[in-house]
Amino acid sequence: MIFREVEDPDLIAKARRGDVEAYNLLVSRWEKRVYNYLLRLVSNREDALDVSQEVFLKAYQSLPKLGDPARFAGWLFRIAHNEAFSLLRRKRPETELIGDPRPAAAGSGMLPMELSLAIESALGRLSEDQREAVLLKVYQGFKFDEMAEILDCPVSTVKSRLYTALDLLKVTLSPQIVRGES
Amino acid sequence: MSCLSPESKPDWKAYALGELNPEARVQAEVHAATCTACSEELATLRLTLDMMSTLREEEIPRRIAFVSDKVFEPRWWQRIFSPTFASACVIAVAILAHGLMRPANTDADVDAAVAKAIARFEVKQVDADVANRMQIEDVKQLLIAGMGFQRQ
Repeated sequence: MIFREVEDPDLIAKARRGDVEAYNLLVSRWEKRVYNYLLRLVSNREDALDVSQEVFLKAYQSLPKLGDPARFAGWLFRIAHNEAFSLLRRKRPETELIGDPRPAAAGSGMLPMELSLAIESALGRLSEDQREAVLLKVYQGFKFDEMAEILDCPVSTVKSRLYTALDLLKVTLSPQIVRGES
Repeated sequence: MSCLSPESKPDWKAYALGELNPEARVQAEVHAATCTACSEELATLRLTLDMMSTLREEEIPRRIAFVSDKVFEPRWWQRIFSPTFASACVIAVAILAHGLMRPANTDADVDAAVAKAIARFEVKQVDADVANRMQIEDVKQLLIAGMGFQRQ
């Protein structure tokens, strides 16, 4: 007998019939990715966790509306995007008063922790739209057309945001690049 | 060699991000092999992306899990349209309809049914007796015929 691995569409089908355990298994496969995407977007662990829970709850309630189970990833990140930007809109005045909470990258060396801080700082200098484009492409591996669906905008807008972000990252991270090469 | 016009320059960001089709990739690689400016641009872009990829994902501080709750239970219309529930409903309705359409049994009905069964049994018994007698008669005839044959 040939056993095949349980795939996301199998779990989605069971979850649609009310199988909470199947849904929990599906959540366990995606929670880390969604949490990290949200964490880099909202820049706060508690908020990222709260929004992640909200995302998976909304996803469960909206599962019957998901047309093609093969498009679950994009559909899930679309919900995550909406929830994150809803939170950012609510928190915007507060964030603007506090300013950029991210550490500065100046003088960073090439130690792994410092490099991570430099990258996080460089990401923090991007606009929310640019940062999200980088997160979806570089860290989540979505294609341009999938990103356009998640962000509900044309592919040309996705490319424009991403390309501008890459130019800015290249400049911000260039001291580290030079240091790394030397 | 360097790029003569921006139009002839490959989209290096799309290339580095894996968004070019195989044919365009090959063309871009051929171009990079002969264009110093483009090969430097691509190298810087790759370094930036390599550096970005060193940022590790964090573990989620608390696992997300749901328990079976009213919130998660399917709504009444979802239950109705579920295959198991729908089949159970059809069977239940069929049993109920059969029960309602069948006339109720009274003592007279039971007596009549028993009488009918007894009558059917008696007819069978009479038929069996007749067949038995006929068989005996046939055997007698055969014996007599046999004896006559022996005498001759």
